[in-house]
Amino acid sequence: MIQLQNIEKYYANKGMKSYILRHVSTTIRQGEFVSIMGPSGAGKSTLLNILGMLEEPTYGTYEFMGENVVSLNERKRIELYRNHIGFVFQAYHLIDEMTVAENIEAPLLYKKVGAAERKSRVAEMLDRFNMVAKKDLFPGQLSGGQQQLVGIARALAAQPLLILADEPTGNLQSAQALQIMDLFRKLNEEENITIIQVTHSEVNAGYGSRILHLLDGVISEDLQVVV
Amino acid sequence: MFKLNLKIALRNLWRNKTSSFINISGLAIGLASCLLLLLYVSYEWSYDNQGKDASHIYKVLTNYLDINKRIEGTGENTGNMAGPKLKEDYPAVQAMSRYEWGGPKLIANGTKSFKKRGRFADADILNIFEYTFLSGDRKTALDAPNNVIVTASTAQTLFGTTDVLNKTVRFDNKLSLKITGVIKDLPGNTSVYFDFLMPWSLYETQFDWVKSPSWTNYNWETVIKLDPSTDIAQFNSAIKGMMEKNHPHSRSFIFVYPLNKLHLNSTFINGKSSGGKIEQVRLFMGLAIGILLIACVNFMNMATAKSERRAKEVGIKKTIGATRGSLISQFLMESLVLTFCSAVMAIVLIELTLPLFNNLLGITLAISYSNFYVWAGLVAVVILTGLIAGSYPAFYLSSFNPIQILKKKGSKNNGQFISLRQILVIGQFSFAVILIIATTVIYQQIRFIKDRPVGYKVNELVEIEQDGNLYEKFDLLKTRLLQSGAVTALAQTSSSITRDGSSFIGMEWQGSAAADKLITFNQIATTYDFIKTTGVSLLEGREFSPHFASDSAAVMVNRSAVKRMNLTEPIGQTILYHGEKRTIVGVFDDFIWGSPVQSERPMVVAFNKGWGGRVIMHLNPANTTAANLASITRIIKEINPAYPVDINFTDRLYADKLNTQSILGVLSNLFGGLAIFISCLGLFGLTAYSAEQRTKEIGVRKVLGASVTSLMKLLSLSFLKMVMAAIIIGVPVADYIMSGWLKSFEFHTTINWLVIVLAAMGTLGIALVTVSFQAYKAAKTNPVQALKYE
Repeated sequence: MIQLQNIEKYYANKGMKSYILRHVSTTIRQGEFVSIMGPSGAGKSTLLNILGMLEEPTYGTYEFMGENVVSLNERKRIELYRNHIGFVFQAYHLIDEMTVAENIEAPLLYKKVGAAERKSRVAEMLDRFNMVAKKDLFPGQLSGGQQQLVGIARALAAQPLLILADEPTGNLQSAQALQIMDLFRKLNEEENITIIQVTHSEVNAGYGSRILHLLDGVISEDLQVVV
Repeated sequence: MFKLNLKIALRNLWRNKTSSFINISGLAIGLASCLLLLLYVSYEWSYDNQGKDASHIYKVLTNYLDINKRIEGTGENTGNMAGPKLKEDYPAVQAMSRYEWGGPKLIANGTKSFKKRGRFADADILNIFEYTFLSGDRKTALDAPNNVIVTASTAQTLFGTTDVLNKTVRFDNKLSLKITGVIKDLPGNTSVYFDFLMPWSLYETQFDWVKSPSWTNYNWETVIKLDPSTDIAQFNSAIKGMMEKNHPHSRSFIFVYPLNKLHLNSTFINGKSSGGKIEQVRLFMGLAIGILLIACVNFMNMATAKSERRAKEVGIKKTIGATRGSLISQFLMESLVLTFCSAVMAIVLIELTLPLFNNLLGITLAISYSNFYVWAGLVAVVILTGLIAGSYPAFYLSSFNPIQILKKKGSKNNGQFISLRQILVIGQFSFAVILIIATTVIYQQIRFIKDRPVGYKVNELVEIEQDGNLYEKFDLLKTRLLQSGAVTALAQTSSSITRDGSSFIGMEWQGSAAADKLITFNQIATTYDFIKTTGVSLLEGREFSPHFASDSAAVMVNRSAVKRMNLTEPIGQTILYHGEKRTIVGVFDDFIWGSPVQSERPMVVAFNKGWGGRVIMHLNPANTTAANLASITRIIKEINPAYPVDINFTDRLYADKLNTQSILGVLSNLFGGLAIFISCLGLFGLTAYSAEQRTKEIGVRKVLGASVTSLMKLLSLSFLKMVMAAIIIGVPVADYIMSGWLKSFEFHTTINWLVIVLAAMGTLGIALVTVSFQAYKAAKTNPVQALKYE
């Protein structure tokens, strides 16, 4: 599904190149649950952003579903977001002005899904995440864990093939974090959704099928998790 | 999607109540001001532009030549021959009408008598202007001399109904006229205005001098309707020789000028139109657009200031599949919703202020809600405003790169020396500063003109028309009024003391050259007590007196006349006035009779019992004005029962002279004030927002020990710098514009540097108050509150 070849990312600063990623090459297949780990500043988030096409690598090739997506134009990139990729953020990043239901519905609107279909999918999501009673609340009225659930519901609403999660549990208490992780595993196992998450937590990483260790911009370890 | 966008836009309005209120009310005031001004502009613009043939109507104007055959001046009057001759000789002239001044004339139904604006005109006038006949026949309405056409409101006043066809009214207390037509009231912006219209044939039977053909008795005005295919330049060159041919030595030639352009372009230099009121109208249009732009700038500033919060939204939406287009349409939708709210508020504001505005300007403006174009125009203005106001935020915000926002929480001012927002604020305040200075200078100029000594006791005089019996029984009136003690003196004059009414050329005196015959002199005809009544100061000699029988051949002249005629010993000199030998018995000081911003022409006050028209009275200061007026009214009513008594205060008549400047003053005051208010509203919003954004920074600084003063300085300084920059830009511009404006007056004040300093300080002061209010509020908050977030 994803093929990275020799991805490099650096910023030129006063003639000095400061590298964030160096020679990153890897392949991620459909249905994998990958955790990217490493100390602060190792380039985890940058790698995830490149995977999400939010940032462009300075060098290297990135093929997403067989298509080279480096320097893809905005229109095509947004097309990919609409159909294949869902994002989950550490700070949830819900739209404050929209209710829970509207937040979940938003990607479907952009995807131009019909009204009836939209309704049923939103209802299904609310149902699944036990949030029917909260559908008319605004994000500010929810707890962090609940907000993150909405964030995931929103990411799932468009039925993506890939979920990119940047420390999805970083702002949550451990009980809530476990709940989210269970959810991810379930999505991965039952619906075969590819999940790539950035995390600091060994426990969280244990939920995945594979761990990429980054150190100073280089993949230092690529482990398969044995259950 | 549309519905959701609309819902979110409304939700956003509701969530940010303060900034929404500032935005909406600022924009509403801007829109209301803009629409009011545009209403006024369209009123002036559509002057004489009613009816589909308005553009084919031309007025016959006369160019006067000096002795070297150069064009000396242009007048709107003609004799009574030019019109008929034009119609006779040129088939392109489809219709022609002469008309006279159209002043107030007496019209009565039985004992109900009123002074209304009546006009005599050729019957052909009905083929020129498209009057809407409510009853009567357009083709024959003015055919017989005893016909009259009345407007609906005149009919209403006289009869209480508009169903008055074939009824009889009494004109001037001596003639019975039959109403042969009732027409819809004329709009206020018509130069050939009247309340009732009478045929020229009646006019001719009334006065012999009207009947006698004349090319150079410039007493009347003439309009013609030309065939649409006529080439005007050609037509004008064809008629150029007409005066010379029919009346040699007239030293003038006629030409035609579109009537619907004349009102705004009535200044002619060298026979060429060179502006006029149009400059003022353009100024107001500029002001209208300027104020609206200021309000739009507020909106843009507020929206971009909020960009950090909105940026997050943009970033998220982009990652869930929103295109830039959908974001732009969302932001534009928000600004349109806001503009729409403002428009509703603006209409309410206009309806509330329109009567006041009309009162200030002395005109009648109204929004005709039944008119499709009004709505179309309104919708267009609203949409345009919404798009202008929303475009910058829409394009600016939607261009954000999602990762930068989501990662770094918004891009800081990336190294730009000065941001667009700052430029907008500076522009806004520059405009405000220019308006403040302009307003003050206009105000000072009006004061300057008003404070010029008028030269007579303008505050103690009243004037009446010398109607009906008041002419025959003037001596009785004089005796009765003096006996009553209501007036201390009165005089009969040929025209009002407040307004130049008559002039002549052809004066001769000892030592005058042939060219001196072309000097224009003002003239007033009067009898006794002119000086005593008016209080004009006598420099030499005496005024007319019944003790000197020879005074029937005497004149008085003003100081300018003595100077112009170069007389060393004016008293006792004999002059030729209208070909008659007259002796100068007195010299009086110039008083303001013409324009108060120009020096007075030489003037002759001549003794002439047969030329009256006005009675000027000096009220007795020992009584109350009300008591004086009551006695005067009673006495006049006894002597002249047929006419209503209409007493005019000269100070009010005099104030009318300054009408144009007053309107300019009022409007610039009003809208200058509003512009500043809107700008400050914007500044208030910006500071409020910047304070809100920097809550954390302020909290941290307070914890580190910053004082309230230093925090206020931190918050206010950047805004005050912008206002300072605006002052530095605005002052020279205002100085340049207003110096130019002042130069158009012969008598004018100078721009006082104190005014500029005060204007600058004032703006800075208002801005400071606005900003520091918010800054103080932010600086006083408990740091714990600020730091609790995040």
